[in-house]
Amino acid sequence: MKRLMIAAALAAALPVAQQANGQDAYVVGVSAAMTGPGAGIYAPVVEAMQAYVNHVNSRGGVNGKPIRLIVQDDGAEPSKAAANAKKLLSQDKVLMLVNASLSSTYAPMVAEARRANVPLYFGGSVCPKETYPPADPLQFCSTAFGATFDSQAALAFVKNTAKEPVRLGLAAMAIPIARGEIDYAEGLSKTLGMTPVEKQITPPPTPDYTPFATKLKDANPNWMWSWSPWVSQVRTFEAMRRLGWTGRYVSWAHLNAEEELARIRDPGFYVVGTNAFFQDDLPIHAEIRAVTHRANLKYPTTYLTEGFIAGMVIESVLKATPWPATPAKTLAAMNSLKVDLKGLRGGSLEWTKDNHFRTKQYYRVWHWDAGKQAIVRVQDWQAIEVKR
Amino acid sequence: MQLAVNIAVLASIYALISCGYVLIYRVSRVLSLAHGELMLLGAYALYATASLFSGHPLVAIGVSALLALVVGGLVYFLLMRRMTGEAVLAAVLATIALGVLLRGAMVLVWGAQEQHPLRTLGWDNGSVAIGTARISFVSLALVAATALSYLGLWLFLRYTRWGIRMRAAGQNPLLAAQRGIGLHGIYALAWGLATFTGGMAGMLIACDSALDQTMAVIGLKAFPAALVGGLDSLAGALLGSIIVAATEVLLINYVDPLLSDVVPFVVLLAMLIVRPWGLFGTREELDRV
Repeated sequence: MKRLMIAAALAAALPVAQQANGQDAYVVGVSAAMTGPGAGIYAPVVEAMQAYVNHVNSRGGVNGKPIRLIVQDDGAEPSKAAANAKKLLSQDKVLMLVNASLSSTYAPMVAEARRANVPLYFGGSVCPKETYPPADPLQFCSTAFGATFDSQAALAFVKNTAKEPVRLGLAAMAIPIARGEIDYAEGLSKTLGMTPVEKQITPPPTPDYTPFATKLKDANPNWMWSWSPWVSQVRTFEAMRRLGWTGRYVSWAHLNAEEELARIRDPGFYVVGTNAFFQDDLPIHAEIRAVTHRANLKYPTTYLTEGFIAGMVIESVLKATPWPATPAKTLAAMNSLKVDLKGLRGGSLEWTKDNHFRTKQYYRVWHWDAGKQAIVRVQDWQAIEVKR
Repeated sequence: MQLAVNIAVLASIYALISCGYVLIYRVSRVLSLAHGELMLLGAYALYATASLFSGHPLVAIGVSALLALVVGGLVYFLLMRRMTGEAVLAAVLATIALGVLLRGAMVLVWGAQEQHPLRTLGWDNGSVAIGTARISFVSLALVAATALSYLGLWLFLRYTRWGIRMRAAGQNPLLAAQRGIGLHGIYALAWGLATFTGGMAGMLIACDSALDQTMAVIGLKAFPAALVGGLDSLAGALLGSIIVAATEVLLINYVDPLLSDVVPFVVLLAMLIVRPWGLFGTREELDRV
């Protein structure tokens, strides 16, 4: 019995001992909003990413080496993100930094990454413009949503679907990235022959969305486009419906979109997104279910696609990074990367030296079908070329 | 008409939250900066009881309301009681620490995922017409709950033995103690009632929209309403809430929606310049602060 206990203690200590020696593993550092205002968006991504990396390690790792993912909580605070980046770079000697947090944490992490000449990968947080061509040499992104392209896809859908002249209402949360996108959409809508009738920017958090929804409803739009965190998109919509608005509302498909469409059950509520829903029941979905079940994650499986994709990207990057690994070799691997996402998106994710976002962005649109009592895809993958 | 309804709903939210600030301050002279977190805890309590008593929504609501009352009393007995006789600043700092602790604990227990307690209760949040305006069922319940809370508190403080003791303890704790009033019981009751009203606000806001961690910040947004009215006056909290809500809604509608975030604090600053002790507050109370 005593031997068994010693063996168990040694077995438990082994991974710790391995982890302590960073040179025996590919070390990746993550600064994420695991707590704080953005935690609902970022924590599921990071937990799924971690579960995927553990899954890879259980299969023998990459190039015969395990991946060591060090996750630091920044609580969505720039100062903490800066401290995390410093610690990850100087103490842990990471090969690349990963950001899964609010855009306010970007600047300090970018500064630290530049100082150390280590690539910075945005996995789950909104892609900064610097990842679009011509890309910043050190910044990369795989996150589903991408400013300007999302509005192009959403308004193209509205244009193709609307049978009547479009009076467009616009809604966003009062954060710079969302406001910028909705301003862009306002301009774009005019070029597409639509009439933007009202634009509401709601501060986060708002106890009651009805005053904002009242102004939108009074402008009498027949279509709405909202690109913001889910809370702002859906609460504005629900407040408008309670006021008796009967138009159609298009919003961005965040992590919880599949679950929320089934909760809201409104045929006039559409979501535009780039990640396949679990209703497709692809083999990769079964894999996500199995991996996350083993990891005992507390989030619904439908929230975990984005984190799984981030995990697949990290695996692919490190596979292309020959041992002994250095940040320079990792950067070289990232500058020429093609990740087969196995149907989780409309095509593979490709990074080039000039394009650290993706060469093509694929969009689908879903809504709730009242007749079928199910989520229905109303537009299949539509590709937008991402060019300079 | 819709504007009037919107003002009434927002004022009710602020009033239901701010009466908790007033109750605690009026009785114990402590400014509770954990009120937003206690409000959030009340909402999570409803979510938990809704899951526990599935199919019995009224039981779930009753139990969660009772839990809020008990939690408030426990906060006093386990934490704030030890602050008795200490500097006011120490007590305020203790509430800040409590808020941070509660926020972390709630993330650990319930995660960061958005929840919908109303759906768990098995109810839908439709809307009803009032003249040309519309109001959601939960918002209507919120307005009614605020009116009942203020009426109940007024009756309690004016006509019941415990209410009169509470006022006495607030006015002169030393004299009240010398007259045989148990101050710890009174303070615990004040914390219990404040957490109960704050918890109710949290439950109703969560039912009207959804429940997530950002709700704690809404508790802080109601704080200016209490200060505008006067931190030691329930009537002042009510009037302050109406002023702040009306300014906010009218600015959203006629000027710029972005102003809604700063309006409560602009109104507060204006009040501090003109009448620092608030509309119904007393100069003496301010001097003590």
